[in-house]
Amino acid sequence: MEKPNPKRSLSNHRISRRSFMAGVGAGTVCVAASSRLFASGGGEKEEEVINADSLSKLSLHINARDHHLLVEPRWSLLYVLREKLGLTGTKEGCSRGECGACTVLIGHVPRYACLTLALEAEGAEITTVEGLLNGEELGAVQTAFAEEDAFQCGYCTPGQIMSVEGLLRKNPSPTTEEIRIAVSGNLCRCGAYSHIFKAAEKAAKARSK
Amino acid sequence: MMAHFSYVRPRSLKEAIGHLAENGARVHAGGTDLLGCLRDQVFDVRKVVSISGLSAMRGVEQVAGGGLRIGALTTIAEISEHPLIRKHYTALAQGASEVASPQLRNQGTLGGNLCQKPRCWYYRGEFHCMRKGGDVCYAAGGENQFHCIFGSGGRCFIVHPSDTAPALSALDAQVEITGPGGLRTMPVENFHVHPEDDVLRETWLERGEIVTAVRLPAPQASLKSTYRKIRARRAWDFALAGAALALELDGDRVVDGRVVLSGAAPVPWRSLLVEDTIRGKTLDDRTIDAAADAVVKGARPLAKNKYKLPLFRGMIQEELRRIHQSAGADG
Amino acid sequence: MYYTEGLPVPETPSPGETPGPWERTDVVGKPRPRVDAYERVSGTAVYPSDIVLPRMLYGAILRCPHPHAQVKKVDTTAAEAPPRVRAVIGPGDPKTDLPWSFRDVKTTLFPKTCRFEGEPVAAVAAETLYQAWDAAGAVRVDYKVLPHVSDERRALEKDAPKVHENGNKLKTDTYSRGDVEKGFFEADVVLEQHYRTEAEVHTPLELHGCVANWDGDVLTIWESTQGVYAVQSRVAEVLGLPLSKVRVIGHYMGGGFGSKLQTSRYSIVAALLAKKTGRPVKSFLPREATFLAMGNRPPSNMTLKAGVKKDGTLTALSFTCLGTGGAYPAGGTSLVDWQIRDLYLCPHVRTECTDVYINAGPARPFRAPGHPQCSWALEQMLDALAEAIGMDPVALRLKNVPDYSQGREGNPPYTTTGLKQCFKEGARRFGWEKARRKTAGQEKKGHLRRGVGMAGSVWFVGGGGPPSTVILKLFSDGSANLNMGASDIGTGTKTVMAMVAAEELGLRPEMIRIEHADTGTTQYATPSGGSKTVPTEAPTVRDAAVQVKRRLLQMAAEEMDLPVEDLRYTGDDIVSRSRPDRRIRIVDISGLKRQGVVVGVGHRGPNPEKKTVNPFCAQFCEVEVNTRTGELRILRFLSTNESGRVMNRLTFDSQVIGGVTMGIGLAATEMRILDANRTGKMVNRNWHDYKLPTSLDVPADIVGVPIEMPDAEANISGAKGLGEPVTIPTAAAVANAVYDAVGIRITESPINPLKLSSLLEQQKKEG
Repeated sequence: MEKPNPKRSLSNHRISRRSFMAGVGAGTVCVAASSRLFASGGGEKEEEVINADSLSKLSLHINARDHHLLVEPRWSLLYVLREKLGLTGTKEGCSRGECGACTVLIGHVPRYACLTLALEAEGAEITTVEGLLNGEELGAVQTAFAEEDAFQCGYCTPGQIMSVEGLLRKNPSPTTEEIRIAVSGNLCRCGAYSHIFKAAEKAAKARSK
Repeated sequence: MMAHFSYVRPRSLKEAIGHLAENGARVHAGGTDLLGCLRDQVFDVRKVVSISGLSAMRGVEQVAGGGLRIGALTTIAEISEHPLIRKHYTALAQGASEVASPQLRNQGTLGGNLCQKPRCWYYRGEFHCMRKGGDVCYAAGGENQFHCIFGSGGRCFIVHPSDTAPALSALDAQVEITGPGGLRTMPVENFHVHPEDDVLRETWLERGEIVTAVRLPAPQASLKSTYRKIRARRAWDFALAGAALALELDGDRVVDGRVVLSGAAPVPWRSLLVEDTIRGKTLDDRTIDAAADAVVKGARPLAKNKYKLPLFRGMIQEELRRIHQSAGADG
Repeated sequence: MYYTEGLPVPETPSPGETPGPWERTDVVGKPRPRVDAYERVSGTAVYPSDIVLPRMLYGAILRCPHPHAQVKKVDTTAAEAPPRVRAVIGPGDPKTDLPWSFRDVKTTLFPKTCRFEGEPVAAVAAETLYQAWDAAGAVRVDYKVLPHVSDERRALEKDAPKVHENGNKLKTDTYSRGDVEKGFFEADVVLEQHYRTEAEVHTPLELHGCVANWDGDVLTIWESTQGVYAVQSRVAEVLGLPLSKVRVIGHYMGGGFGSKLQTSRYSIVAALLAKKTGRPVKSFLPREATFLAMGNRPPSNMTLKAGVKKDGTLTALSFTCLGTGGAYPAGGTSLVDWQIRDLYLCPHVRTECTDVYINAGPARPFRAPGHPQCSWALEQMLDALAEAIGMDPVALRLKNVPDYSQGREGNPPYTTTGLKQCFKEGARRFGWEKARRKTAGQEKKGHLRRGVGMAGSVWFVGGGGPPSTVILKLFSDGSANLNMGASDIGTGTKTVMAMVAAEELGLRPEMIRIEHADTGTTQYATPSGGSKTVPTEAPTVRDAAVQVKRRLLQMAAEEMDLPVEDLRYTGDDIVSRSRPDRRIRIVDISGLKRQGVVVGVGHRGPNPEKKTVNPFCAQFCEVEVNTRTGELRILRFLSTNESGRVMNRLTFDSQVIGGVTMGIGLAATEMRILDANRTGKMVNRNWHDYKLPTSLDVPADIVGVPIEMPDAEANISGAKGLGEPVTIPTAAAVANAVYDAVGIRITESPINPLKLSSLLEQQKKEG
């Protein structure tokens, strides 16, 4: 049997290997990314090992408010939002990063709260679906979802809304294809996708006014 | 459901390496694969060492000589959107844009994508399989429709789940590894472990070592690279069959090229046979058909993944035709 | 103040008289966003899984990891040790290991013999969710693993392991009319084909579970359920409590699709843990467990033989199905022959359905149980017959549309059937003939091939029926409160009911507040399922509104000293017909002011006798197949539905796109995979390996076309069900379109690149 994979034969780098290797030197310095998610800086806590069983102090900045609480290292941001802070607009569908019901914005970027340790979210600006409200007024994406009936049971809806919100913050006038991709990490078992696309388009228009 | 672990957020790479050298320590970058594995109790963990705050490890920069150095903490989304990567290393941008879901691309890092654990449902499930130290590969005689056709060594039939690794390998990238012994580099192509060498690990990282960056060689104008991925579902899914192609073209003649498959083997699988078939050839029907035959030559499908043979053949045909057509359009 | 200006209000029938159909509607049938849209999009809606109570504990259930095992010993010592664990319960304790049953087969909450992977073995309550799972994981169980059978196709083999002592065959149901042999003899073409659909798992987004809390001897359960009264009765029965002491609340719920129609052991377990600890207990299943133990649409192995004459007349249908409801009686072949029996005119029909046990989670009703499977076989067969006799698929179906139910005893007529119109209007709106010509004439050289396909369906029920009671209260300011027990499972029930009450009373719909789905405070309703909620509750609500109007008319008559027959209810006021200057504003009626409220109690009237009420549907789609890779793209879908009166044009469309999307899952992405060769365990018990369609797997272009035929005989709202009909023909329509595109009949679901690439390869080899 022929065995085509040359796992130890390095001789087959036929594309001008020399030029590929050029410029790779030890002295290279990596420029820090401009959009850091997390505050670094030398807080004392950062070098401290937090024991598995102990509760440690954590401050979370959620929807423009600070929350101070005690957490175990393994607690997810989702668990803390829902069970400790009463922010139950963020939903739990799988706790495996497979459904998107727990989508929140970290910075302005949609992420799964179930695969984010609460400790990891320290220092970040977290926005949940409740944070899109202005007082009791709905945000543009929320309004569009309501008007277009972009849901049935409504359980995946906060996550869908956060994904669309994240998209529009980055790309104010997306194409339908970009919308479809933006919500492709949010399952809707009721199957409201095509109304979700419409709602996102409508929200984009409303926001650009 | 979720292991008990202590947690530390080191302030420096050096501190991180120190923690990671401890028994039971696991690195947390984006955390997506780690937390999934912990929920499934795939491995034990005592300490989670979070490097997510080490911002020096994040970002894309041009280096002297024209190549790129991508920090290991750069997110998959950042890679898929980066203008230089899109322009000069298209396969990598395409591969990155096909990873999992938008949220996971926003959170997952390049280093994590290279080091992720396999998605074999026996490995992730409640099965004490060979890769977890057991005696049995459940996939061999079981539900193996998503398993490998190359490179199992008869021991473990996972496919490597990464979409960026095949692209990086095709682009001849180097992985930069930092550990207690300092810095070393190796080609991405050699970074993953074949089951016959060691069924218990997926990468050649030693204890305490982490991937700190990936280096791409200087771009060549004549190099065209693509990544194609076929899956059972159009989002949040791994490759049934995939291929990264990096071809040095002269018109529609292939001067040289590297072809690396995903969804094929326990490691990103370089297809030398396809490379040999197309090297020096014009991408006409005969060459393309020969390449399609070459891509599955030597494959050893299992009971439920024989479909991968026509799938890989069809995919290679489609990709080469596409390249042929766009080369024709360019020229 | 709260009435709708300028809109006529329906006449109020005299006491004892049944209201006639609405002659026109001004609220009902219009597109209207949901009354609870704000709560659902703002995140303020409190679903059962959102409940957090003071002193609340978290429950976790340890489940058997084997598909068939004896529980030899359960040692909870280690689980009880940690300081924050508050209770551990398990098998053998008569106070907590209570009797449980699946239909007539008895077991217990924590059975000694586990017959499917995921049966409860023990349960714990602890201070945090994480600690609860730690404790559950610390329970030591000795299992004796028993041989299992995980593939229903092997269940009847001689040496197959027995799921129950008396063997694996649960039952065989047969049906027959006419003489199929005669029918096949009369046919010009007879075809026979085997079909299979894979098991699907419901997996609604909200996990199954509840919060249980005791106040003395009164138990309150907040449960994600399709029917609060169903949960109440089962919990009361198992715990030996009077119904009055069990209150079940389920205001919001995050999807069920049939998997939350029935009561599960977890509700009892939560109640027991709450009792033992004296604290509220929240117990929701982890996602993985919902794949194992919360029901499924079981796999169906079907063989269909069909005969047709050259002119398209169906002469005979002979159908067999082998199915399974899993490890307990659960309707494994329930209704799986219904399309064969009822959808198309056919004088000679025989069906035989065998339901067997396997060591897998029990089935639960899943959106149109049995129907999409049967449709997969029948509608593909009809296309094959059409091709064989050179007839257009739509024309063949139109040739065989019945106006009575052949499958039912006595052949009762349908109250209405719009099936013919569904085919005709659907074909017209879709551009069927043009699309067919285009796909037939497409160049065969390219690797992207287009195809179009269609299918029709009837839903077994969908007419609703008694019992149901609602109370409508009109307050002294003219606003109203509607009190009903039914759940809104996402279909828009609350909104439709507000629209019905608004229509009848001339009120603005937003002035109607709805209290629902609470056994403690709302009226009796059966669970929301079977596409029966709207046709059950809408007439009930209308009846209540009529009662309110009658009562107000009576009050006004007394106050104005006029005969009640002379008065007319206009919404804002009540006017004398003979002397239009005599009128009184409703809010000025002194009886209303004095009482503060007028109450109308509505009841669901009976369904028509000797007739049957059924909704119909036809769907059309266009697909593109990549012949190199077997990738399938579904480009557009059109669904024509005859469901009587359209109640809310906006939520109608949501139902259509939802049903089509779910059908696409059956057609193209979903299948449960059991490790049948070795362990029998489900390997894809998560949403990555079990593939629900994503936003990229469905077309943006899904069009709903109502064939509106208000069904005056069905009930006083004229509505029939919609939720289930919309998902029945979808998968078959996709399969037919794939055939049109590439000439390959995919008889086994799902149509994915795994299957298509192999079949395309085979086709190429065969030339």
